[in-house]
Amino acid sequence: MIAEMAADKNGAEKRVKEAYAKAQEYQSKFNDVITFVDPEEQLKDLPAEGLMRGVPVVLKDNVNTKGIRTTAGSRILSTYVPVYDAEIVEKLRKAGAVYIAKSSMDELAMGGTNLTCFTGPAYNPWDTRRMTGGSSGGSAALVASGVVPMAIGSDTGDSVRKPASFCGIVGVKPTYGRISRYGIIQYASSLDHVGYFTRSIEDACVTLKVLAGRDDRDMTSSNREVPDYSALLNSDMHGRKIAVLGNVIKNISNQETVKMFNDLMDQLRAKGAQVDVYDFDENLMRAILPAYFIIANCEATSNDSNLDGIRFGVREDGEDMAEIMTNSRTKGFGPLIRRRFVIGSYGLFEENQERIFRKAQKVRRVVVNAMNDCLKEYDAIIAPASGNIAPLINANEDQDALSDENLIAENYMAMGNFSGYPSITVPMGFEEGCPIGVNITCRAFEETTMFDVAKAVEEITGYKDLQAEVK
Amino acid sequence: MEEKKDREYFKKLAHQLMFDLSDEEADSLVREFGTLEGQMALLDAVNTDGVEEMIYPFEAETAFVRKDEVSNVITQDEAMANVDKKIEGHFVLPKVVK
Amino acid sequence: MEYDVTIGIEIHCQLKTATKMFSGAPTSFGRKANTCVNEVDLGHPGSMPQVNEEAVRKAVMACTALHLTIDPLIKFDRKNYYYSDLPKGFQITQQFHPIGRDGYVEIDTAEGPKKIRIERIHMEEDTAKQFHLSKVSLLDYNRAGTPLIEIVSRPDMHNGAEAEAYVEALRQTLYYIGVSDCKMEEGSMRCDVNVSIAPKGAAHLGTKNEIKNLNSISHIGKAVDYEVERQKQLLEAGEKVMQETRRFDEKTGTTIMMRRKEGNVDYKFFPEPNIVPIRLDAAWIKSIQDAMPELPSARKQRYERDYGLSEHDINVLISNKEMSDFFEQVVKYTKNAKSACNWLLSDVSAWLNANEKTIDTCELKPEMLAKLIGMIDDGKLSNAQAKQLVDDLMDGKDPEQSAEEKGLKQVSDTGAISAMVNEVMDANPQAIEDFRNGKDRAVGFLTGQVMKKSKGQANPGLVNQLIKAELQKRIG
Repeated sequence: MIAEMAADKNGAEKRVKEAYAKAQEYQSKFNDVITFVDPEEQLKDLPAEGLMRGVPVVLKDNVNTKGIRTTAGSRILSTYVPVYDAEIVEKLRKAGAVYIAKSSMDELAMGGTNLTCFTGPAYNPWDTRRMTGGSSGGSAALVASGVVPMAIGSDTGDSVRKPASFCGIVGVKPTYGRISRYGIIQYASSLDHVGYFTRSIEDACVTLKVLAGRDDRDMTSSNREVPDYSALLNSDMHGRKIAVLGNVIKNISNQETVKMFNDLMDQLRAKGAQVDVYDFDENLMRAILPAYFIIANCEATSNDSNLDGIRFGVREDGEDMAEIMTNSRTKGFGPLIRRRFVIGSYGLFEENQERIFRKAQKVRRVVVNAMNDCLKEYDAIIAPASGNIAPLINANEDQDALSDENLIAENYMAMGNFSGYPSITVPMGFEEGCPIGVNITCRAFEETTMFDVAKAVEEITGYKDLQAEVK
Repeated sequence: MEEKKDREYFKKLAHQLMFDLSDEEADSLVREFGTLEGQMALLDAVNTDGVEEMIYPFEAETAFVRKDEVSNVITQDEAMANVDKKIEGHFVLPKVVK
Repeated sequence: MEYDVTIGIEIHCQLKTATKMFSGAPTSFGRKANTCVNEVDLGHPGSMPQVNEEAVRKAVMACTALHLTIDPLIKFDRKNYYYSDLPKGFQITQQFHPIGRDGYVEIDTAEGPKKIRIERIHMEEDTAKQFHLSKVSLLDYNRAGTPLIEIVSRPDMHNGAEAEAYVEALRQTLYYIGVSDCKMEEGSMRCDVNVSIAPKGAAHLGTKNEIKNLNSISHIGKAVDYEVERQKQLLEAGEKVMQETRRFDEKTGTTIMMRRKEGNVDYKFFPEPNIVPIRLDAAWIKSIQDAMPELPSARKQRYERDYGLSEHDINVLISNKEMSDFFEQVVKYTKNAKSACNWLLSDVSAWLNANEKTIDTCELKPEMLAKLIGMIDDGKLSNAQAKQLVDDLMDGKDPEQSAEEKGLKQVSDTGAISAMVNEVMDANPQAIEDFRNGKDRAVGFLTGQVMKKSKGQANPGLVNQLIKAELQKRIG
């Protein structure tokens, strides 16, 4: 879709304006937009050539856009207008893409439901009683509903790959450092990745070519050359060795999902892949979510200390600096993240750090070592991205439950953030008319392998350009 | 000397982070703290003897440092664009007593 | 009761770089508020740090000059706290892995030279500046992000003089190698002095009090000595010394409490996740060390060896680098180093002070000062006459021309002076009698008369010599 759109130069203006109109039309159904961006200015400045020329896209609202309000889903930033563009915004502009909206997200990216945005929850286009998942829920909805072919998200624990599963689209988290994080409002710096959604693997390849590359302003960004992913795409699975994450399958109670997944594995075998079940240590798998929470909360508490109402953002009144900061942060932050900050701060206290924060960082290394052992023998690790379809919004499930199902089956994808390895979610099948995805993780900087396996899955399922029917 | 992790404790912690919690929110945190203890138990079940913390996903050292040349300045107007009150190009706060 | 005094000093020095420690905005002093900033310095969401190469280079130079062991792996950490002048809500510093450890600097004390050990040097960033008006405080972020090195001494000093000497030694060293302007009055060098006392021979140190806001090196000794006395009096009165942060009040010469120290603040230090460790190339470090400018200690040795000046004169000369550089220019044109030194430290310095200029901002040329010295040494001008030319000299004029215009020249012609001596003696027979009777002041009187007769132009030394000789002849 993207390549065709870019080639169709004359159709650019019409296409972008239609997308803009559709986004506005769907807003009352899905509530997936925080700020609409009139594309008029950008359409005037389109380059002559570009891999994404005239392609309408959406940016998660934690992406800084110069002159355009950027809120990160939080009330405290509801008036913040950046003075600079994130690196990826500059890259997208050079490629000719036009962004038409800043999309809804969990407040400060700290959530997995997209129910904590200060503008209200986002609704799943496949079934508006259900959540999109988060934190990149708004972007996922806009791609799933066919408004745009590509939307930017961010993935710190699974915030692109989980909503992709719930919304029946492709969700990509490339290798850490592959895409510059400069200008992305930070949640947990050592876990944050810029990610994105598309509706086909081909579009995912083009998008990564546009977004990837070294940026000196982000000292963690990679110097490696960016391959021509599109040209290298090859779904031939002969000689490929794929490891099924046994612990995840074992802990999914929904047998329909298990069957759907196993059928897919048989199909992959039929295509020539060697697919084996691989088990990690169960205790290790249980420790992934806790380690993620601790590292993420601790880093986030520090990262969000700049949000004080003094230089930008919503400032509440007070008699002195302390009162202004306290009032601004109390009114500006939702209850969930205030609680998470307290926990994060607790983990960083000098007397606690060894036991809590550093312990979690050590567990992180043990997890990554275990992944490395697996990826020495196998080219990819695969498992369902979730055991179930998107939960009902009113079901009030406890996201933090310490059950094995919740810990292992629903929250294992943080492994991809611990290791920084590239990981992708691709639609797998349907239950009750709602989609479920499958997740594939490969070695560092081997996005080509990741795309190849994903393409093979896409060919098996036929789920290309899946769009939710909008009534 | 372990402090009791009750409502008052968390309210104090929050205040140190420059925000407040309501009674309900602090009570909620008391419960979540219980979950944290459970999470710690799960972490402790993993043997990390002799394991170093993993601070970055990739630990390759870099040689890059930025050249000492002016590369990015914004105007005073841009710097002040996100606030209402300014006095002669300064950000304004009510009097700070240190 | 005798006491052991323990003094430790922490110094923050702004590095002389074009841009900030972690961003590409310019460093500055005295510019319009908030005109030297970008999104990184303002702590805007999504901004990230980029380490400044020149700041690292200057930190390496400082470590080298002060004999610290350099860690070639650069790591940064976050120091977390909330304050209005801290835009990110944390400062990026080097808590766990300072760039340099275990160095020293030598100072001169009454008991001879002494090494003051330096525990560590690390890099960090400066905060914003706050101005307090009556009802509001104003924030200017131009200073936010300026590169700093923090230099932490071991508690090796025991009195105000040593503390002052330590800071002065550091200032000179860092100034000489061009790492910082080291101007306490401008804030490019800031000192926090920790003072504690304990009964002599006691096992534990006393309670530490921190003295801040010292605006000049000359205040350090006074502040320390007052504080030591204050603590002594408390202990003698049977009271406890409380842990406080105090400021030095210039007017009264006392330290005044700013705040009590309430336990220890937990800064929740952890490694900065946005900066991967930076490996400094060994060859790069070596090239920096090989290219180090001359240290004051080396210059002192060189002056002792080459110019035969007194230790006191050398110390004074070296304490002002620009003056010392100028001196070296002057001695390219004259061999009389002592005279060059004297002129610079007395008449030239006095003129600069009176006219509020520095050696770099006046018009004096080294070759002209050398010429003046040569004229005196050749007897063409007397010292007194030369002093009259200082104003012109400082304005860049050629002393020969100046002397010509002012009609100043010294008469050293023996014959001419002899004639005047004889005239004066012939006119003052009583003076000759006085001398015969043992009144030596007659010589001075007669000298004065000859000088008057010559309108001040006679070579005084020669006059004195000839008068004494003639007197001997006449009383014969």
